[in-house]
Amino acid sequence: MLKYVAKRALQAIPVLLGLSVVVFLIMRVFSPDPAPVVLGEHATREAMDAWRDAYGLNDPIVMQYLDFLLGILHGDLGESYYTHTPVMTEIMARFPATVELSVVAILVASVCGITLGVVAAVNKNSFIDGFATALSLAGVSMPIFWLGVMLIILFAGVWHVLPSGGRIDPLMAPRGGTGLFLVDTLVQGDLKAFADAARHIVLPALALSMYSMAIICRMTRSSMLETLGEDYVRTARAKGLPQGKVTRRHALRNAMLPVTTVIGLQFGSLLGGAMLTETVFAWPGIGKYVVDCILKSDFPVVQGAVMLIGIIFVVINLVVDLIYARLDPRITYGKEEG
Amino acid sequence: MDKNALSRRTFLQLFAAVSTSGFLAGCGGGAASSDSGTAADAAAGEDFTITFAQGADPRGLDPAYADDGESAQVWTQIYENLLQYADDSCEVVPGLADLPEVSDDGLTYTFKVKEGITFHDGTPFNADAARQSIARQLEPDRTEDMAYAGFTFGSEAEGNGIESIEAPDDTTLVIHMRAASTPFLANLAMCMASPIVAPTAFETAIETPVGTGPYKFVSWTKGDNIVLERNEDYWNPENAGKAKQIVFRFIAEAAPRVTALTNGEVDIINGIDEAVVGTVTDGGCVIDARDGMNINYMAFRTDQGVCADPAVRIALSKAINVPELVESLYGEYGTYANSIMPLWMAPYDEDVVQTQYDPEAAATELADLGVKSVKCITYSNPRPYNGKGGQVLAEAIQGYLTKAGVEMTIDTYDWTTYRTKIETETFDICFYGWSGDNGDPDNFMNLLSDANVSMNVARYDNPEYKKLISDGLQTPTGADRDEIYHQLEQINAAEQVWLPISHSQQLVGVRPEVTGYNLHPSSIVFLRGTTKA
Repeated sequence: MLKYVAKRALQAIPVLLGLSVVVFLIMRVFSPDPAPVVLGEHATREAMDAWRDAYGLNDPIVMQYLDFLLGILHGDLGESYYTHTPVMTEIMARFPATVELSVVAILVASVCGITLGVVAAVNKNSFIDGFATALSLAGVSMPIFWLGVMLIILFAGVWHVLPSGGRIDPLMAPRGGTGLFLVDTLVQGDLKAFADAARHIVLPALALSMYSMAIICRMTRSSMLETLGEDYVRTARAKGLPQGKVTRRHALRNAMLPVTTVIGLQFGSLLGGAMLTETVFAWPGIGKYVVDCILKSDFPVVQGAVMLIGIIFVVINLVVDLIYARLDPRITYGKEEG
Repeated sequence: MDKNALSRRTFLQLFAAVSTSGFLAGCGGGAASSDSGTAADAAAGEDFTITFAQGADPRGLDPAYADDGESAQVWTQIYENLLQYADDSCEVVPGLADLPEVSDDGLTYTFKVKEGITFHDGTPFNADAARQSIARQLEPDRTEDMAYAGFTFGSEAEGNGIESIEAPDDTTLVIHMRAASTPFLANLAMCMASPIVAPTAFETAIETPVGTGPYKFVSWTKGDNIVLERNEDYWNPENAGKAKQIVFRFIAEAAPRVTALTNGEVDIINGIDEAVVGTVTDGGCVIDARDGMNINYMAFRTDQGVCADPAVRIALSKAINVPELVESLYGEYGTYANSIMPLWMAPYDEDVVQTQYDPEAAATELADLGVKSVKCITYSNPRPYNGKGGQVLAEAIQGYLTKAGVEMTIDTYDWTTYRTKIETETFDICFYGWSGDNGDPDNFMNLLSDANVSMNVARYDNPEYKKLISDGLQTPTGADRDEIYHQLEQINAAEQVWLPISHSQQLVGVRPEVTGYNLHPSSIVFLRGTTKA
């Protein structure tokens, strides 16, 4: 398996290299010149030119790219044009918030999506199946931005039962730890802060999970339907096993294989793509930050964040493949694959 | 297989337990506002917290390196200046120093700094500390990213600003100028560049500021919040902070910011426009509107194209009913601009005569001049002086010009791109605006004499105008100086280089129980006196 992991890691290199080229060119070619924004309205042409020189933006584009690559190899992603803080520091200050939101969202999406998908498949063409289909359709169709605003209006604006945004009351925020507030508050035994953090994550997690839940639900339903029609399921029923046991032990386990892949990919998307949700709910994660930096042409931050998201995708794909093999003993690595 | 099945069940049970507990905890919380710093606490005489929500993180917390309003909103609670503005105007009053003695030639300022003041980290504040805070922004130590240093402290190339600065003793600060400059004292009271930073914090103030002000920095969670706490050793009891803590929250979108206010999560919000006024008031909160220090204008390009001819500019201006436009676009939160400077800043401009709306004359004159089309560029984003955004404004004006027989094409860009396009594109008309820095008339009127085309977007070049600007810089405050700026306004009106459109009001939304804050004309909300009833 180690050999397989090493092989996949090597395969990731050209992917990441390609990603670096694309993000670098997009930022340099299509983004506005950052100098007027960074230096403000009183900046002279000379000052802007000097600033571009200082940051190497007057160098040939190939040289700029090579500098960027060299920096990555040394673990140096540069510093933000605006805050003068190392990019890695800026990203890591926000990354735990995105991880926490994504984990909770994928948990909600998985539990609800799988449950609904299984129930819908077992009760095919029933009312519950129609409900699951309608909910899935709504989940896929509803823009997250709109859903987020609606949730805020209802739960915070009308009913006043949940906060409209943020991660936690700032005065209760745990100091130090992992940066995952739900974990840190529990570890520190501060249940009041834990409850506050949990209340803050409800709406963004709900909004963020809707799309993934819909996809997981549909995948689970179709996979379950396919599995429930297999011979071994019929055999299990013929042996007299209760329907519940047949569903859970024989059908669900095998139906989970494609669902696992979907969950993994959805998790990767959530980690890298919660931009709208984070913006609507003022969730201080990496997605919202990247959007802000794109608008401000903060090249080093955008490049660094996109590379990080790319690496996360590669790693999650790898993990999903490994889990896949764990769930299905027929799958092996290396030469035996063929 | 059994082992796998068991672990799956356990796994699913764990999933369910965690997600359910999170949701139950979330939904069972009752009222949405946090437990800290509620109105009830304040009413009971306990220490309370004021939470202020704005649209973005500060860029940084060192006034030498940031120039955005979000940064200034935070650091003005932490730092103080040698001089400061009066509470309700831009009149310069003593701050960390008394008003200076100025030499007869206007080239030397001698300040007496106050004694017995310490920075938040215990470092004594004295004349040398003030000197260092300013001197690091002077040439040759100045760096390109000190956005306001050139404007505030001048430059050798321009032949203005500070030539040298010295602190002969702990209480005396002497500044030698390259040229006399009446706005200089107003610059020292500005929230950009001038706030005094502890010398011990020059390297770190961008993230962890240290000043002398009524609030001390506690923490900054990037993208989420900044927490300040009251400076219990503050030197000036009259201006001491009332709230125990001030929390700044960053909520990018206006709608969630308003909901956070009406939901009791925050006490004051800024960065809102008239579109959300109803939501704020319906939610039981209050809108506080005060005149802003800004101008929203349409500029004609004077160096090329059809608008290089003043007769064309005047004819086009006659086609536009500006008061009607302002009323329909901005309602009660924008006022028709009869002058470039708001009247509260320059009351002497009340009688400036702008081109009057006369659509028939406009159509005739434009036909006679052979003007059938003009090219306009504008911005898409809302701006502090134009909450509707440049495109909406341009389209409204396009309607007026169409009626006068002139086709106006509109190219719209996001603000960042627009800043570049304004320098590189060919156009006849553009939309722009200005938010004042220091309350001095020069800060508004010199834009039309600036060599930098990103400031002087009309490319106006009039020697008489420039001479008056130069005179105004060196004339002491008083009637003679007022007359100079009145003349400058009248020159613009006569040549119609800019068509002034509106002055926007600055709005904040406030919880009804919150009082005592100061919404200053400089757009900063000073929070030291804020209380909860």
